[in-house]
Amino acid sequence: MKHPLSARRATALLFLLLAGSPPPVLASEGTVLAKPGATALAAHLPVEKAVLTEAPFVPPPIKRRHPAKVVVELEVREVVKRLSDGVEYTFWTFGGNVPGSFIRVRVGDFVEFHLNNHPSSKVPHNIDLHAVTGPGGGAASSFTAPGYSSQFSFTALNPGLFVYHCATAPVPMHVANGMYGMILVEPENGYPEVDKEFYVMQGEFYTAGRHGEPGLQPFDPAKAEDERAPYIVFNGSVGSLVGDKALKAEVNDRVRIYFGVGGPNVISSFHVIGEIFDTVYQEGGILPSQRQVQTTLVPAGGSTITDFKVDVPGTYVLVDHSLSRAFNKGALGMLKVTGPENHLIYSGKEVDAVYLGAASEAASVAGRREAELMISKEKAIAASPEIANLTQEIRLERGKKVYLASCFACHMATGEGLPNVFPPLAKSDYLKADKDRAIKVVLKGMSGPITVNGSAYNNMMPPQEVTDDQAADVLTYVMNSWGNDFGNVSASDVRRVRAETR
Amino acid sequence: MKTLLALICVSSVLGAIAAEKSEIPSCCAPAPAALVFKASCCVEEKPAAPLTDKSLYQLNSAWTNDAGGSVALTTLRGRPVLIAMFFASCEYACPVLVNDLKRLEAALPEDVRGNVQLVLVTFDTKRDTPPALRAFRERMELGPQWTLLTSTPSAVQELAMLLGVKFKQDSRGQFAHSNLITVLNAEGEIVHQHAGLQGDVSTAAKVVAQLPR
Amino acid sequence: MAPTLLRSSSLRSFRRMLAAAVVWGGLLVFTSARSEVAAPVGMTFIPAGTYEPQLRSKDEPDKVPVEAFWLDARPVTNAEFLEFVRTHPQWQRSKVSALFADRGYLADWAGDLELGEAASAAAPVVRVSWFAARAFAQAEGKRLPTTAEWERAAAAGFTQPDGASEAGFSAYVLSWLSRPGIARLPAAGSGRPNVFGARDLHGLVWEWVDDFNTAMTTGESRADTGLERNLFCGAGAAGARNLTDYPAFMRAGLRSSVRANYCVPNLGFRCAQDLAPASENSP
Repeated sequence: MKHPLSARRATALLFLLLAGSPPPVLASEGTVLAKPGATALAAHLPVEKAVLTEAPFVPPPIKRRHPAKVVVELEVREVVKRLSDGVEYTFWTFGGNVPGSFIRVRVGDFVEFHLNNHPSSKVPHNIDLHAVTGPGGGAASSFTAPGYSSQFSFTALNPGLFVYHCATAPVPMHVANGMYGMILVEPENGYPEVDKEFYVMQGEFYTAGRHGEPGLQPFDPAKAEDERAPYIVFNGSVGSLVGDKALKAEVNDRVRIYFGVGGPNVISSFHVIGEIFDTVYQEGGILPSQRQVQTTLVPAGGSTITDFKVDVPGTYVLVDHSLSRAFNKGALGMLKVTGPENHLIYSGKEVDAVYLGAASEAASVAGRREAELMISKEKAIAASPEIANLTQEIRLERGKKVYLASCFACHMATGEGLPNVFPPLAKSDYLKADKDRAIKVVLKGMSGPITVNGSAYNNMMPPQEVTDDQAADVLTYVMNSWGNDFGNVSASDVRRVRAETR
Repeated sequence: MKTLLALICVSSVLGAIAAEKSEIPSCCAPAPAALVFKASCCVEEKPAAPLTDKSLYQLNSAWTNDAGGSVALTTLRGRPVLIAMFFASCEYACPVLVNDLKRLEAALPEDVRGNVQLVLVTFDTKRDTPPALRAFRERMELGPQWTLLTSTPSAVQELAMLLGVKFKQDSRGQFAHSNLITVLNAEGEIVHQHAGLQGDVSTAAKVVAQLPR
Repeated sequence: MAPTLLRSSSLRSFRRMLAAAVVWGGLLVFTSARSEVAAPVGMTFIPAGTYEPQLRSKDEPDKVPVEAFWLDARPVTNAEFLEFVRTHPQWQRSKVSALFADRGYLADWAGDLELGEAASAAAPVVRVSWFAARAFAQAEGKRLPTTAEWERAAAAGFTQPDGASEAGFSAYVLSWLSRPGIARLPAAGSGRPNVFGARDLHGLVWEWVDDFNTAMTTGESRADTGLERNLFCGAGAAGARNLTDYPAFMRAGLRSSVRANYCVPNLGFRCAQDLAPASENSP
C-alpha cells in the first residue's frame, strides 16, 4: 500500500510531530539541564506560583503591572467520573477535572511549566498551549510517561484567551477524553473590570453507548472519526451548570464568560438565552470586536470572551444554539441572577419551570436515584431474595420522576395542591375512594365540581400523555406518598381502564 | 512380530524423551560494575575512586577501536569527552555531525582543546569493521584525539539508550538516527547535549570550558 | 501370541496398531526435529509472519518479515523477578545504579527481597527498567522481543490469526485504554490466550521491547519541521499505517516517551528466544 505522501499521512505526521520526544537525559535525576540563556533572562523577575482554579471559577485578575516568573504545576490524571445520570466515563484530565485548570498570567510573563503525569495513568501525555510560541506549543518538550514529570518554559508573548490541550497521538482520543483547558494571558492593562467572571468550555464525548445508556462507557473511535457525538456538554458532564451548580450573579452585575471549545471536533454557536452580549472579544482576542451580539461562533480549539450586564433576575440558559445539542446532548448551562425585579425590562416567570424532564434538577435527582437503585436491584437479586421491596421503591422513584415532570406544577411537590384551585393528593379522600376513577382522571383528564377533604374544587385537569407504565408508576407514587397508603396501580389496571374508557 | 512392534514403540518413545531433554544454555547477566576502575597508562593519575551513579563508564562492555585494539570505556575517564554516534556509509548527516564536532573543538579555548577526547561510535556493527573505521578516519582527516569505536549490537544499543540516541536501520541498510553530540565530564557523566545539525555550538563550548580540570 | 496376530481375522487390528505406532512415532520424531530445542517451559511458538509498522519512513517497506520465534506465554511475574534479584544482587533495589534503573525501580515492593502487600507474587512485575528486563532475560538464556516480533504476536486475535478481522477484537484492545488504571494488577497469564497461545499481550501492562528507541516521531521533510529534520537523519518522511488503529499509536507513543532506565508503573516485560540457539551477540 505504498503511495506518496497523501493528505491523510500529512495529517498523521502533524500529530506525530506534536507528540514530541521524552525529556532530555538528566545529568542527575531531578535536575534539569537548563539552557543557560533562558534562566539568565528570567533571573531578575519576581517569582510567583500560579493560582489555578477549577471551572466554572476563574483566578482573580492580575494586579501587578510588570512581568513575573510564574510557576505552573499541572497534574495529568485519568479518573472515572459521572458523565450523566447513571453514566460514567474514564476522563483524562489536567488537574482532575474537565475542563482542565484555568491558568491566568500576564503578557510578558516567563512561565515555568511543570507537567506531572500521575503514576496511575495508562498512557503518556503532553500539552500544547495555544499561547506558546515554540515547537508544538510546548508539546515537543512535555511528552511525559506515566509516573514522570516534564518541565519547559516560555514567555507569554501574546495576550488573549487561549485553549490548551494534550497533543499526544491519537490526538482526537486524548482531547475527546477531556484533555483541554484554557490559559488567559492578560494584556498589559488587563481587560475592562467586571463583577463576575466565569469559565465554561464545551466538548464532545464519544461513548460506545447511546446518550443516556448507563454504565462505564468506553470511547468509540468510529463515532469520533465520523463526528457523531452522543454527548456535547459544558464543563465535562451533563448538568454541570444546572440547579445548585448554576452560575450565580446579581442584578446589575457585569458578567464575563470566558468560553472555549475543547472539541475535539464541533464548533459552537454560543448564546445566552435572555441576554445579549454587550461586548464580544471575538475568538478570544484583545479587541472588543463587536457589540450587541446574540450568538457568537467559537471555533473548535478556540475561544471567545463575552461581556454582558444582567438587568433582571431570573435564570439565563447558556446553550450551543445548534439546538439538538442543547436539548438532546447536554450543551446547556444556567446562570441564576438574583435581585430586585424590573418588570419594565421583563416580567416573566423563572425559566426553571420551562425546562422539565431531564433538565429539572429534582427529576434528575430522582433519575439518579433510580439509576442507583437499578444497580442495587441487580445486586440484591444475586445476593438475596428481598426483591419485592426494591421493586416497589423503583416504581415509586419512577413515578416520582413522572410526577415532577407533569403533575407537581399544579398539585405541588408534596401533593398539597393549591387551596381553592387545585385539589390536594396528600391524604385525599377522593383519591382513596376509587382507584379506577383515579386512573381515568390521569388518562382522560376531568372537569366539573368535586369535593376533596371537605373543600370544593371546580377546575379543569388536562389529559396526561403517558404510557401505561408511566400512569401506573405515577399513580402508585401518589397513592403511597405523603402519608397515603392506598395500594398499588399496575400497568394492566391502566390498560383495562384505558380500553374501557375509549 | 510382537517384538518388532514393541521395538518400534519403545524406540519412538525414547527418541521423544531424548529430544525433550536438551539443555537450554544459561548465561550470566552482565553485571553493571559500580566499582570497576581500570588503570591505564593513557589516563592521568587519579585516586581510584568508584564510578558515580551517573557515570556511563559503568557499562563494562568490550569495545574495539579502528586499530583493532580492545578498549574499555573506563579508559576515557579523566578527561572530558565529546561523543556522538554515526555510521561510515551515512550519506547526509554524519559528515555534517563530524564537522559540527570539529567546529565545537575549534570553539574551545586552547588550553581546554588539548585535553578533550572526541569519540565516535558506530551503529553499523556489521559493516563498520576496524578497517572501515580506519578508512573513515582518513577520509574525514581525524587526528589522534579522535577515537572510533565499534562493538556488539547489544553493547551499541545500550550506549545509545544511555545517550538517548534513537536509531533504526531501514531496508537499504541505511540508518535513520537522531543527531546528538553529548558532553561527558571526566567522570563520564552527561553534562550537556547538543541536538541537531549545523547549530550554534557556543553553548556546548562554554559548558566544556567550564568543566573542572 | 504372534501366530494369533497373524491370523486373518486379527490382521486388520494388527495393521491398525502398527499404523498408529508409526504415526505416533513419526510425529514425535518430526516435532522434535522441527525445533532444535523443544518448547522451552512457559513459552509458546510464534510462527513466521509479517509486521506492518504503524510508523515508518518512505523508504521502508510497509510489511516487515518476522521469523518464527518463541515467546513467553505471559509476562514475567513478581515472584520470578524476585528470584532473579535474589541470585543477582547487583539488581536489587538498594544496590542498582541510577544509570540502569531510576528511583521508581521496584518502588511497589516492600523491600529488596520482599514483595509486600502492594505487589502480589503472581502479578506481572512492573517498574523495571529496560536494562533490568534485559538482564533478567539474559539470565534465563533469553532476550527481549523486538518491536516487530511483539507486534506480530499481538496482532493475532483470540480466534483468528489476524485480530483486525475478528469481530470485537479491536474494541477489546481499545477498551483497556478506556478503563482507569488499577492499583493491584491481576495475575499474569489470567487472560484469554490468543491463537498462538500468548496471553495478556493486551489489557494487562505495557511491555518492553528490545528496540523501543526506534519508535521515533519524525517530522515530514516538506513541512515546516526544521527541528525534526535536523534531529532525525535518514530517509525523510514518516507515515502512519492506520490512522484509526489507536492502540498502535498508544504503544508507539509509550515507547517514544520512555528512556532505558525508566521504571514505569504499568510497564513490564516478557522474554523471547530464537528457535535455533544463537550466540548472544549475533546481529
